[in-house]
Amino acid sequence: MEFTPENKKKIEEILKRYPEGKVGRQAALLPVLRLAQEQFGYLSEEAMLTVAQVLDLSPASIYGVATFYTLFNKKPVGKYHLQVCANLSCCMEGAEKVVKHLEEKLGIVPGETTADNRFTLSEVECLAACGTGPVIQVNENYHEKIKTPEDVDRLLEKLR
Amino acid sequence: MPKVTIDEKVVDVPEGTNLIEAARLGGIEVPHYCYHPKLSVAGNCRMCLVEIEKQPKLQIACNTKVAEGMVVKTQNPRVEKARRSVLEFILINHPIDCPICDQAGECKLQEYYMKHDLAVSRFPIEEKVHKDKAVDLGPWVMLDMERCILCTRCVRFCQEVAEVNELCVSERGDHSTLTTFPGAKLENPYSANVVEICPVGALTNKDFRFKCRVWFLKRTESVCPGCSMGCNINIDQNEGEIHRLTPRVNEEVNEHWMCDEGRLTYKPVNQKNRLRFAKMGEKDLHPDEVLRAVREMMTGVDPNLVCGIGSAQFTNEDNYALASFLKELGSSHLFYHRFEPAHPSVDDYLIKADKNPNTKGVSTLGFKEIGGDRRFKFFFVLGALPEEALNRIALEQQKKVILFNPWDEETVHYADTLLPVGTFAETEGTFTNCQGRVQRIRAAFPPPGEGRPVWQWLTHLTRLFEKPAPNYTTAPALFLSMANQIAAFRGLDYEKIGNQGMLLKG
Ligand code: SF4
Ligand code: SF4
Ligand code: FES
Ligand code: FES
Repeated sequence: MEFTPENKKKIEEILKRYPEGKVGRQAALLPVLRLAQEQFGYLSEEAMLTVAQVLDLSPASIYGVATFYTLFNKKPVGKYHLQVCANLSCCMEGAEKVVKHLEEKLGIVPGETTADNRFTLSEVECLAACGTGPVIQVNENYHEKIKTPEDVDRLLEKLR
Repeated sequence: MPKVTIDEKVVDVPEGTNLIEAARLGGIEVPHYCYHPKLSVAGNCRMCLVEIEKQPKLQIACNTKVAEGMVVKTQNPRVEKARRSVLEFILINHPIDCPICDQAGECKLQEYYMKHDLAVSRFPIEEKVHKDKAVDLGPWVMLDMERCILCTRCVRFCQEVAEVNELCVSERGDHSTLTTFPGAKLENPYSANVVEICPVGALTNKDFRFKCRVWFLKRTESVCPGCSMGCNINIDQNEGEIHRLTPRVNEEVNEHWMCDEGRLTYKPVNQKNRLRFAKMGEKDLHPDEVLRAVREMMTGVDPNLVCGIGSAQFTNEDNYALASFLKELGSSHLFYHRFEPAHPSVDDYLIKADKNPNTKGVSTLGFKEIGGDRRFKFFFVLGALPEEALNRIALEQQKKVILFNPWDEETVHYADTLLPVGTFAETEGTFTNCQGRVQRIRAAFPPPGEGRPVWQWLTHLTRLFEKPAPNYTTAPALFLSMANQIAAFRGLDYEKIGNQGMLLKG
């Protein structure tokens, strides 16, 4: 597994933003992991090892960071990655019901992907849109105030 | 130096000291998990909360530096309540499997629970988050994921001391798990140190676990014989069987650590093939008989045919006793040998390529490396010297070898006389490490069978020769004589060497 020449250039650019040495390389880890996810689709162990090599950091330190953030996928995801915020404010607005409904509709539980590879369902931590919860992030886009089963159905319809 | 008041006690501590250390200097223990004096401050466990006057919230002592006039309370009701809450929080998902946990008896969770909490758990055991148990992390360490309190001491040890980031905390929240990269191992040459710094039973030593409950262990302060660094250690044994060696703090030598290889040096002590009785040929003999036979053999021989071969594996005292004995016989031919493996491990921290604890000592005592001068017939040898090394300096005619050894090994059966002696764990005396630091080792128990220290054998033998010296009754007496006789040892005092060692002169 290797970064494309284009992405390699981007990594060089990223590294320039931080101080030289290990601290800087550690700081560059998040943006580089995003780049890896973009190119490889998800962060497989192999992808993490590639990042480790490019940044000259230990595999374990990459693993700790990659698994901490829900925005990094450690398994392949479907076309639409439904990331439901399951943190406090969203739960008070009914996020749990939203998840339940999604589970029923899609026939999967959080962490799984539908057989047709269309949807992956995940519960994630606060998406920083607490005022307009419950929030579902679909790939890179936010869908806010998804409160009722009907709201969920409408969203799914749009994605079909 | 700033003055701070801790629990009514005024202590004067160096600038930059944190409150845990400041309290320690005042004789007060602030309970803590994640803080370790040799690692960076993580401040994640919150166990060390204390009250500081004029600060509205409790502060963590590990990450608070002293300031002039600070007034700190470490045991008022507010602090005690916080401590209980923190402990309860840490214990939420703890499996409480003390009865089958090897850490029981030296576990900070147990200790602090008994001392600061003693409350009934509000978290039913069925509702706890479970994780993997008995995860094999590498050659030395076993991990119980659900016992881990995520203090990250082990992670920081690997980063900061071993300088290989082999460990990390993965996931988050109550799924957080200590781990290596999938499929990777914790296998740096210092890996087992994480076992001692883990405050709980999450990391256990594969070589030690389930061998012995820690409260049955008796501890003896000693020095690792694995290489010329001479890391300070504890010998932990029960009824004459060593169960583990653990590092003992010496800031001038090994700080708080030891290498994994050094931890194995106790194995030969427990080995079955210990030499128990004095032997001539294949026959076990009474010590007195053997000594009389040696005396007979040595009577009237030309001193120039006699040489002593000391060993970098034996103490200064043993080598010195050999030198004084030879002197009484009229010989000053002193050589030494050392253990030289073909591919010694080495690094730029503790691990030295010279795998002998006392090379510096034996050479300081005037022993020379074995040369090529073939003119000796009688040999007094410490330790398992390979026969071919001996042959390099032996006359063609039959040689006579009196050999002191802890083991009954094939390789020494060429010796005419074998006398059983103690290993490092059964010997009182000193080693001089590569820095020139003279450090004491202590006997954890006596050697098996008729085994006794080299110097004791030689003292008995000297008496048979009706010579005045050596006539030693204890290792300290020997040391005193050595300090009087040998310039480099002058001024050293056995008592003052204590458990931290003293440097040779010059
Ligand atoms: S394994 Fe032990 S030292 Fe490592 S983080 Fe867990 S509790 Fe701390
Ligand atoms: S570095 Fe040398 S003295 Fe220290 S523990 Fe290892 S073998 Fe023993
Ligand atoms: S709690 Fe859902 S966005 Fe913050
Ligand atoms: S010891 Fe201070 S926070 Fe852990």
